[in-house]
Formats: sequence, structure tokens, C-alpha cells
Amino acid sequence: MLQTVKPKNARSKRALEAREPKLVENEKTTLFLRGTSASGVVQDALGDLHSLKKPQAIKFQKKNAVHPFEDASALEFFSRKNDASLMVFASHSKKRPHNLTFVRFFEYQILDMVELGLDGETFRKMQDFKNSKAGVGLKPMITFSGAIFENNPTYSQMKLMFLDFFHGNTVPEVDVEALQYTISISAADPTDEEPNPKIHLRCYMLKTVRSGHKLPRVELEEMGPRMDFKIGRIQEASPDMMKEAMKKPKGQEMRTKKNISVDPMGDKIGKVHVDRQDLGKLQTRKMKGLKKRGRDESEGERDNDVEMDDDDVEMGDNVPEISPKRARV
Amino acid sequence: MSTEMEVDEPQRLPVTVTKPIPLTYDLGHLTAFDSNPLPPLTPSTLEQTLHSTARDATQLLINQILTTVALKSTQDGVYATLPEPITNLPREKPVPKAKELTSWEKFAKKKGIAAKAKDGKMVYDEATGEWVPKWGYKGSNKGGEDDWAVEVDERKQEDVNANPRSLSRAERVERVRKNEKQQRKNEKNATAASSSGSGGYKNRRR
Repeated sequence: MLQTVKPKNARSKRALEAREPKLVENEKTTLFLRGTSASGVVQDALGDLHSLKKPQAIKFQKKNAVHPFEDASALEFFSRKNDASLMVFASHSKKRPHNLTFVRFFEYQILDMVELGLDGETFRKMQDFKNSKAGVGLKPMITFSGAIFENNPTYSQMKLMFLDFFHGNTVPEVDVEALQYTISISAADPTDEEPNPKIHLRCYMLKTVRSGHKLPRVELEEMGPRMDFKIGRIQEASPDMMKEAMKKPKGQEMRTKKNISVDPMGDKIGKVHVDRQDLGKLQTRKMKGLKKRGRDESEGERDNDVEMDDDDVEMGDNVPEISPKRARV
Repeated sequence: MSTEMEVDEPQRLPVTVTKPIPLTYDLGHLTAFDSNPLPPLTPSTLEQTLHSTARDATQLLINQILTTVALKSTQDGVYATLPEPITNLPREKPVPKAKELTSWEKFAKKKGIAAKAKDGKMVYDEATGEWVPKWGYKGSNKGGEDDWAVEVDERKQEDVNANPRSLSRAERVERVRKNEKQQRKNEKNATAASSSGSGGYKNRRR
């Protein structure tokens, strides 16, 4: 446990305030680290996932003697130290080769964990694809294909975890130009030979081709990494903690705008409130005969109002004062 | 979209995809969910199948973004206004709680006393006709501390040997101490309330 320190200067105070719970949260930081033994394959995979998650990502270089499913207190410590709430832990053993453990944290405590065994033979790293890569820090498009993500509770949980992991920041608008790449996660249907099918993760660069229609034709080019995962051990979130984590702050719902409504046909209707019209100031027809003469000579100082006189003809002399706002200069 | 490639021959490429089960979208996360079962995956056709399903889903997602979302073109480019995400994802940290009220604030609320408006640090000194700070260097709360002659107040002078010159200052320092004590007490109460009130998963884990 870290001590709760009182900030001694403004800089450290700001740094501590940035870590405090917020109503609208910042993007989650992801921490990438490896165990004492990690194969080249799993290290490459870790590096590629790191480059997909940049800049909201921290990668550790040193080995860590941690077994997440046995004692995760070290990971909780790292999470607190780095203010990271997502973590990928790479390890390799005879029993669990090329292992990536995806961990989520809530309030620096482990929310849930899932172990994914990477297929070392089909894995291709980003560098194996000789093409241009997506810009750093861009929001990806994500597609989930396969009925299993709807039907199987484990796979639908994996879907939510991958979505949480890859979706990046929640933004109100996005540059269409910046929709550069798509992360496709798919799984086949379970069969008798393979009750737990592999999850295929592919990343493609987007190329849009003029189609002759209004919409562009989308073509994809694989940019890597190419990963096939076998689901291993899973530590599910405790219901209390998940409930706490899923709480929505009050007062964050979209405010219904006053006087704007949508009718059953889907037409937007606006109600406009207008003040009572002042008929005394109504512009009536101008006639030369009704024009007042000699008034501006006697009241020479109000020269701005010279042209105004004919507006208020009907009111005669009991017009108290002509406001300068109405003057036409 | 990264590049707009020019195609010389004006052939019409298909931009629509028909799927047995229509896709669902979460445009706030730029995500499409395709719940159609994948065609059987054999090692030889695996990449081809994955590529084509990903292309179809991405095409539909792009179509969805470009048709249903308000597009705003500015000097920097075309921006798509994304709706609120539909899929709820867990938060990183709990929802911040409202700050605990201090004892004075509780009392003021009960009695209906409105907070005083902050009117700045400077105050007008009628005697000299100058603006002086309320506290701090040359502050107006130090009036009478530097006077060359001090009247001995019988009621304040409890100890006969106490220096009557320093009494005014001692009184002020005592007020500061009292205030700091109250602040500490309020902080203590606030932390006690926040740790006991949260309940839930934390207490059960310990």
C-alpha cells in the first residue's frame, strides 16, 4: 500500500488531482509487462499490442516474478503506481505456452482477469506486413464477427473485454480522415471437435475506393498483428465490484432540451416564445403631410433623432423620449 | 479513411452488403457487432474468410457512420458527431462522492444561513483613506499590535505578569490555532464518513 501523501507543491498537487476519481473519466492507461520467462513470440505480441495502444500505454522492460492467478498483489501495486487500469502480462511456460493475461482494474484492485494462449505458429507481428501502419493514438473501428459472441457467456464477456481494451477514448466527434484502421475480432461457431473455438484478432488498414455511388467502397489490407487466442483461465469480477464499477454518475444523462420536440413522424418541432408586440412602435406608412416640421430646429441638440420623427407622428407631442437605440444614423 | 484512390474505369463497385441477420452498431465506440455465424474455417481459407467478413462488417460500419451520423465539414476536415456509447463498460475509478460538509456548513444549512460573498482581500481603511489587506503583511487584523502605548485591559489581563503589549497578538494567534483545529476535525470527520459509507465490495474483501 502506498502512503497517502499530502502534496507539498502545486505541481504534485495537480498530479495527485489528475488521479482522483472523475465524473467523466480519462482514457484508461494500459500497462504491458512480462514475467520471468517469456518467449520471443509473446514478447513480440506484447510489443505490437503496446504500439496499438500508444500513447496511453506504459511498457515495462524488466522481468517480474509474478503469477497473476496465484498472487496479484504486485500487479495491483503496479496499477496504483502507474495509474493504469488495464494490463497485459506476458509469460511462457511448458504448461501454458505464449500466454497473455489481460487484466482489468477498478480502483487499483483487480476487477477481472483472463488468460489467452497465443498460437505461436499463426502469430505474425506487425513488422511482417510490409505496409504503412495506422497513425499513433487514433481511435480504431472494431468489428466482432461470429454468433458465439452473442450466445456464449464466456465469449460475450471476452467481447466486452476486448472492446474495453481497444476502444480508446470516448469522444463526441471523430475526424472521418482518422478512421484509418479496423480491429476485427472473430470466432467460429463451436463444434463437437472444438467446443471452445479460437478467437482471431486481425488488424486491417482501411482503403476507400471511389465506387460510383455516394458511399465509398471499403477495401482492407492487413497491417498486423495477427493473433489467434485460446481462452485459458478466467477470473471473473465479483458482482459487488462490477456493480460499483458500472455505476453511472447522476446528472450525466443527456438533458432534454426545452421547447424542442420530435413528433411521431420524426419531424423536429421547435416552440418559439415571442414577447407581446409593442404596437406603439409599429412602423406605419410614411406620408409627407404627416411629417413634423420645425421640431428639429427647436431641439437642435438631439440631431441623431432627426429621421426618427416621422415614425412617431401619431403620438404627437406626448412622446416622452426617443431612445437612442432606435436611431438610424 | 486513409486514401481516396482514383479508379480510371467508371465501374460501379458494390457498396452494400446483405447479411441474413442485420448488424448492430455502437457508433459511440465505432463498433459493429456481426452475429452471423462465420463460414466454416479451414486452415487454407481461414485468412480469406476472416478478411472478407471483416471487410463486409467494416463496409457496413462505414456506411452506417456516413449515413446516420451528422457530418460537420470544417477547415480541418470532415467530422462525424458520434452518439453516446450504448455498451456500458466498467469505470476505472468509482464515481466521485460529494464533499463532506464541515460542521459550520451543516449548521448554516440547518439555520438557512447563506454563504458570505467573497469580496476580495483588500478592505478600505476609513481612517487613512487607503486600501489595506484584510490579513497578512500590514493587514487590518493587526490593528493595535504595534501601538506605542497600550491600554491595560483589566478583564483580559488574567495573569498579572503577562506583557500587556503582546496580548493583542496572542489573541489573534489563538484564533488561528482554533481555526486550524477545527479544520483538522472536519477533515477527520470527512475521511471517516467516506471510508465507512462506501460499504459494498471493499468491506467484504477484507
